[in-house]
Amino acid sequence: MDLIANLFANLATGFSVALTPANIGFCFMGALIGTLVGVLPGIAPITTIAILLPFTFTLPPSSSLIMLAGIFYGAQYGGSTTAILVNVPGESSSIVTCLDGHQMAKKGRAGPALAIAAIASFVAGTIATIVIATASAPMTWLALKFNAAEYFSLMVLGLTGSVVLAHGAPEKAVAMVLVGLLLGLVGIDVNSGSPRMTMDLMDLGDGIGFVPIAIGMFGIAELAVTLGKPQDRSLLAVKLRDLWPSWAEIRQCIPAMLRGTTLGSVLGVLPGGGAALSSFAAYALEKKMSKNPERFGRGAIEGVAAPEAANNAGAQTSFIPLLTLGIPGNAIMALMVGAMMIQGIQPGPQVMINQPDLFWGVITSMWLGNAMLVVLNLPLIGVWVALLRVPFRLLFPAIVLFCCIGTYTANNTVFDIWVMLVFSGLGVFFYKVGAEPAPFVLGFVLGPLMEENFRRAMYISRGSSMTFVERPISAFLLLLTVALFVVLVLPAIRAKREEVF
Amino acid sequence: MLARRTALGCALALSALVFGPLPAFSQNFTKQVHIIVPYAPGGTSDIIARIIGPKLSEAIGQPVIVENKPSSSGNVGADFVAKAAPDGHTLLITDAGTLATQPNLVKKLSFDVQKDLVPVTLVMFSPYLFAVHPSVPVATLQELIAYDKANPGKLNVGTSGVGSIQHLTAIVIAKKYGLKWGIVPYRGGAAAVRAVVSNESNVIFNGALATQPFVVQGQLKGIAVSGDARLPATPNLPTFKELGMPIVETGSWQGFLTSKGTPPAMTARLNTELRKILAMPDIEKKMAELGGYVKTSTPDEFAGWLTKAIGDWGDVVKVENISLD
Repeated sequence: MDLIANLFANLATGFSVALTPANIGFCFMGALIGTLVGVLPGIAPITTIAILLPFTFTLPPSSSLIMLAGIFYGAQYGGSTTAILVNVPGESSSIVTCLDGHQMAKKGRAGPALAIAAIASFVAGTIATIVIATASAPMTWLALKFNAAEYFSLMVLGLTGSVVLAHGAPEKAVAMVLVGLLLGLVGIDVNSGSPRMTMDLMDLGDGIGFVPIAIGMFGIAELAVTLGKPQDRSLLAVKLRDLWPSWAEIRQCIPAMLRGTTLGSVLGVLPGGGAALSSFAAYALEKKMSKNPERFGRGAIEGVAAPEAANNAGAQTSFIPLLTLGIPGNAIMALMVGAMMIQGIQPGPQVMINQPDLFWGVITSMWLGNAMLVVLNLPLIGVWVALLRVPFRLLFPAIVLFCCIGTYTANNTVFDIWVMLVFSGLGVFFYKVGAEPAPFVLGFVLGPLMEENFRRAMYISRGSSMTFVERPISAFLLLLTVALFVVLVLPAIRAKREEVF
Repeated sequence: MLARRTALGCALALSALVFGPLPAFSQNFTKQVHIIVPYAPGGTSDIIARIIGPKLSEAIGQPVIVENKPSSSGNVGADFVAKAAPDGHTLLITDAGTLATQPNLVKKLSFDVQKDLVPVTLVMFSPYLFAVHPSVPVATLQELIAYDKANPGKLNVGTSGVGSIQHLTAIVIAKKYGLKWGIVPYRGGAAAVRAVVSNESNVIFNGALATQPFVVQGQLKGIAVSGDARLPATPNLPTFKELGMPIVETGSWQGFLTSKGTPPAMTARLNTELRKILAMPDIEKKMAELGGYVKTSTPDEFAGWLTKAIGDWGDVVKVENISLD
């Protein structure tokens, strides 16, 4: 009972801060800016937050954090809009949304896809707020238990599960994961400091950028493939009532949303890598739980709801290590630490004790912000869908232009635009040979993390590979990997051989 | 966003017109000034650039744009500035990593820090905090040396990367006291702090900015502070100098530089404006909050500082035979 009483007391403290007219305003502004930034591919929320940082110096600490947080989750949501409409993912989490979201759009169901993305994000945001309010302590403990060995085992599990992502031949998916893994290793090796496979190009020092790869392989390649086909736009002539998902569809999505939220909440807490997995994991899980998994990749609505929920829940729980330990889980959180320090707040466990109004104010503002995102975005769906009716000859050059601008602004370098072009060509090639880009990108994102943590764990254990099975969480994850392999992958490989796709 | 920048620029230009003519300087700024940060947003250099940017814009009557060009330990951004037009309108703000250690570690650099960049002024110095995870049963340097002797290979230093100043510091200290600790590189200082707070590694040398809160709140146990002055927030921690430790002056610092061939009068004007801004009380306060203190210099002093830093770390690199090619 105490726990619940505490929870309500804490939330009340929070709402008393978040619901002041000024803070409602800042929360709305953050969510709005975030949505706009998210919709434009490649314009990263991190750049936006950095640009706005000096403006927040004059605000009270709670208002500034509320607004910056709003930009962050607003962008998470805005990113899925572009992913669904034009197949351009702005960050790794929206790639999964592309898979079924864009397929739905192609079938004239962009409206329901956008609506379910908003609803799933809101449901996940609501639950994640309660999770942060009640379970910060155990989540913090978990984040601290994850060391190099555990991260390695988690990545092995993630990559094994990624085979489920593909709906073609599993052999091709495995091959794509491996190619992605290989390209992910380009750049300066963290463990030795020496450049690998950079061809003496300084621009490749930090590896091949994620944004140019994702935009090239998904966005531009998709356009090229579409142009190669006879144009059939009858599907896009949607009627207004088709803008919303049916009740049956929403009901169908509820378990998917809940599972996605759970996965996302847990993985989001892990700094440095966990969050990248959450939407992939949620999608893979839904596909495996589904009675007819063959619908996935062809416009299954759960395939949009689950990863969107996971992504949003993860975005929110990634604030836990920041607020309770002062440890930033990703680059955006690191920027938040900067924002807090400039306000004279030392991030860490004392924030919750010394400044409960700030801590709970920010948490409750997240829920408020998510509600605003729904209000903001549901009416916009009609506008977005109407955008699809713009003739191809106008729409395509505009998309290419935005892709180029987005790719350029991510790192302010022209080199990345060339990288994007190369990967557009590669994307078309992969399409022609029937290999899918999603497992490739997952390998690209997770591979370097897996390698880095493997070598670090081996170094810290001074060369004993037993470290992976001696540490309980790592051993559990590896066991899960074996189970997954036996249960899912082996029969899948055998069965899929016989099916013709 | 571009529109916003332009609008901001116009507003600032307009305010300059309204609030009186600019003082007559021999060197004037004729267009927008770019400050290049060769790291991703959120780092110390980035935050300093964004604090100083608006003030510089006010001072010179032109918009100032902060641009991040992260890649290759800051070398891509530095190369960009080295090759920019020599008119003093492109500035680089970066740290000891790009300016002092990379030239020693990477032989194939496409530019020469000392020849292709013109020093403008130092900005800030931030000492390193030397700390351990609370589970390590030591409270002083002597206890740590004894513990490492009794448990060789049990300690690991988390650093911000191979060849970083943190990494070289750990090597020099290990050599001086015969320590057997391992050195574990991470992707940047924040990741190293995370690793030591979660006890994946257990020793850290890191900028006071990022490390102090953890020591104050007991998530890390402080051992010493680099430099010769104790930190106000941790008055009980002895300095490297008091303990007779090597490389007393280790720590992180930032400076402004511009392109080769910039007229000395332009560099002098930039130096004057930047030092005026850095002397403002609110800027000094912000720097203190960032864990360091303002440290400015004349362009010549900065050039001398660079020569010394590159030489000192070069000696360490040579003795240890580290190369990143």
